[in-house]
Amino acid sequence: MTDPVGQLILRCAAQDRAAFRALYGETSSKLLGVLIRILSHRTEAEDALQEVYTRVWLKAGRFDPERGDGMVWLVALARNLAIDRLRSRRPEQAEDGEAERIADTAPRAENRLIALGEVRRIGECFQRLEPDRASAVRGAYLDGLSYQDLAERHSVPLNTMRTWLRRSLLRLKECLDQ
Amino acid sequence: MTDAPLSKIEEDEALAGEYVLGVLDAAARAAVEARIRREPDFARRIVAWERRLAGLNTEFVPVAPAPDLLARIETRLFPTPPERSLAARLGWRGWGLGGLAVAAIALAVLLVQPGADPGLVVTMATADQSLIYRATFHNQELVVSRDSGTGAPAGHSHELWIIAPAQSPVSLGVLGEEALHLPYPEPPAGWVLAVSVEPAGGSPTGAPTRPVILTAEIGA
Repeated sequence: MTDPVGQLILRCAAQDRAAFRALYGETSSKLLGVLIRILSHRTEAEDALQEVYTRVWLKAGRFDPERGDGMVWLVALARNLAIDRLRSRRPEQAEDGEAERIADTAPRAENRLIALGEVRRIGECFQRLEPDRASAVRGAYLDGLSYQDLAERHSVPLNTMRTWLRRSLLRLKECLDQ
Repeated sequence: MTDAPLSKIEEDEALAGEYVLGVLDAAARAAVEARIRREPDFARRIVAWERRLAGLNTEFVPVAPAPDLLARIETRLFPTPPERSLAARLGWRGWGLGGLAVAAIALAVLLVQPGADPGLVVTMATADQSLIYRATFHNQELVVSRDSGTGAPAGHSHELWIIAPAQSPVSLGVLGEEALHLPYPEPPAGWVLAVSVEPAGGSPTGAPTRPVILTAEIGA
């Protein structure tokens, strides 16, 4: 198995506490980066990180190495938890991180998207989308923006945004699955 | 790109993508999660989207967590072996267990049922089963209902608490005639649910003030 993170998750499923420590050592900085990006607040992100690793330990048995590597599974778990927290915030709380996030969402780090094969691939596929649609998809994935946030940011009605984004997703799928 | 309506499969594909992107609101996310549990094909679409978009993960910049965070997580997950009494471990010295009459510290019955994934079911019952509350953690939601017995006497309320190892009890709300629903993740083994009898409307102090009548340890 060429997926050391996945290996550690499987050992966690077998109640191996040493593996849990090793997994935390390997992956916690990355996952905290995910949580800070989406939640915009370090304290809340660290609180969420505790929840993430609690779930990792409890749900490790559901990790299936046949279906993807360990890091992808962990990032998905962390993103889901962060997005659930964002969506359950009251509206006034949601405003908090807004200024920070607007500054943060401009398409960036395009250069860094030219390293690994799959990373390059996703960059190419994004380039085939209209720039504002690519930016909407990236803003959702990386910053946890909701349809409402995206519609406001791009000054289009919510339904228009939804149509854009769904079409863009299907085009991305077609491109990425080639 | 045409504007023709999406086919059923395209609809599912787009919905799975929307879920993984995270653009849906809380209610729509909950609906998708229900489908993920029911429909293996749909669950596979979700996983496929997670892998497809994982190329973006390189953009999340690592940030080192506070040094004590691992220890805090381990304390939560791996409580020290329960040699002392439950009450002592939970720091309940001050309230209820000594001078105040504890009606019946109940037997904890725990059922974890694999298979159809009904969630984590915790039953809190008095020894004679005259009062039974059932707590179900499922799909990030906690539902608590009274299966048997009557509510608190006039002028009082039953209040539900959750206690992490070595932490103070945290109120989850007052238990009335209707089932209590609230968003809550599945707690780890070693955490405790408890019900106390409080003044009507719940404890005025934010901590249990009156007798604990039911307790159940998760994973006991």
